[in-house]
Amino acid sequence: MNQLFEFLLRQRNLLLFVLLQGISLWSVFTYNNYQHTLYFNTTNAWAASILSTRQEVASYHQLREINGELALENQKLHQQIFQLQAQVQQKADLPVFFSTAALDRYKPIACKVIDQSTRNSQNYLTIEKGYKDGIKPGMAVISSTGIVGKVISCTPDLALIVSVLHTSNTVSAKIKSSGELGYLKWPGYQTEVAELMDVSKYKKVVKGDTIVTSDYNAVYPPNIPIGIVAKVGLQDDGTFHDIKVMLLTHFSTLRYVYVIENKFSGQQEKLEQAKPKID
Amino acid sequence: MSANFQYKWLIAVVVSIVVQLLFLRDLALFYYGFCFIYLWAIVKAPIDTPPVYLILGGFALGWLLDIFYNTHGMHAFATVLVAWLRPAIFKFLTPANGYDERSSISLDEMKWMWFFPYLGMMLFTHHLVLFLLEASNANLFGLSLLKAFLSTLLGLIVFTLLELFNKGK
Repeated sequence: MNQLFEFLLRQRNLLLFVLLQGISLWSVFTYNNYQHTLYFNTTNAWAASILSTRQEVASYHQLREINGELALENQKLHQQIFQLQAQVQQKADLPVFFSTAALDRYKPIACKVIDQSTRNSQNYLTIEKGYKDGIKPGMAVISSTGIVGKVISCTPDLALIVSVLHTSNTVSAKIKSSGELGYLKWPGYQTEVAELMDVSKYKKVVKGDTIVTSDYNAVYPPNIPIGIVAKVGLQDDGTFHDIKVMLLTHFSTLRYVYVIENKFSGQQEKLEQAKPKID
Repeated sequence: MSANFQYKWLIAVVVSIVVQLLFLRDLALFYYGFCFIYLWAIVKAPIDTPPVYLILGGFALGWLLDIFYNTHGMHAFATVLVAWLRPAIFKFLTPANGYDERSSISLDEMKWMWFFPYLGMMLFTHHLVLFLLEASNANLFGLSLLKAFLSTLLGLIVFTLLELFNKGK
């Protein structure tokens, strides 16, 4: 027994080292499990207050740019109002497809970004709204120019968003002009460029095509702009196009985002879970 | 003299953490060069610091960084690793006549031939482990290696500048 204690005492540095490494690694590999690590990220209250102050100072120096962005966005919103009014008119003419619920299926919630990273291989954002404002994990997040990511965890006042700039956060996408489906994946470097995968080489893709979210997307509303095709090549295996997409969202200067509340998501989930087996 | 030095070291540690969290967080040189100045605490800790304190301190420091970087234990892992390796690196680099009890880790006292290999090994180990964990993807190995290499270079330059700046005082 004595020898054991002596041994432990002699090896205490090694044991402490192994223990702490174990804790760190456990934390690394359970990061998806947000209950475990809920308070060990930037949604932690005091970390958030420090970062929020920092962001306030920084955004003061960017007021001019932000004003510009807001003006542009207003312009876009007005344009959309006109488009939607026209659409509503049209739908009224075709009563077969008209669904009153579908008209306000998506509701945007404007949020301030208090912290973000863009230079890592796995990037996250923290926003200043949480459960209290109706934000839930799984909701889509877009900016005035394009998609941003999705909410992965919430506290009452804050939420953590996994950015599109994350190697395992893929987005179902399509080419706007042809409707060709694929998925968007960020390769882990270059903040402005992502790749569109799974588009067969026999389909026509042209530099300059717009990429938008697809209709089969579980997270994002359809037709949210993602990026512009910047380069088209052939992948090594020779079956798919190698498409580089310039992202439309400027992640490094992101200050305001919109979390999209999907009013159907609960119902859709319930329906799909309760799906009877057909055999 | 010794007490005075530790007092200065402690202030430097706090300043380095604040600078890291508030200013260097979003900074990246040519996209790939990151500066982790918070390692100052481990790199410059007094030579006779007991390894237990070093390891525990490294863990606390890494965990704090993790909270602000959303990295869930990656900084803690890398920092504990270098804190644990530090005594081994010391043994490896022992000068011919051993360490003077009163000497501190500085460019001034240790000279280039000791200081640079020491700093290089510490920074490269930390950065490589950190970037590999962070990428968590075997395809990004080359990128992580490049990031680690460039960040170590940047770290060497920054730490040397800080050393030279200190020397002038």
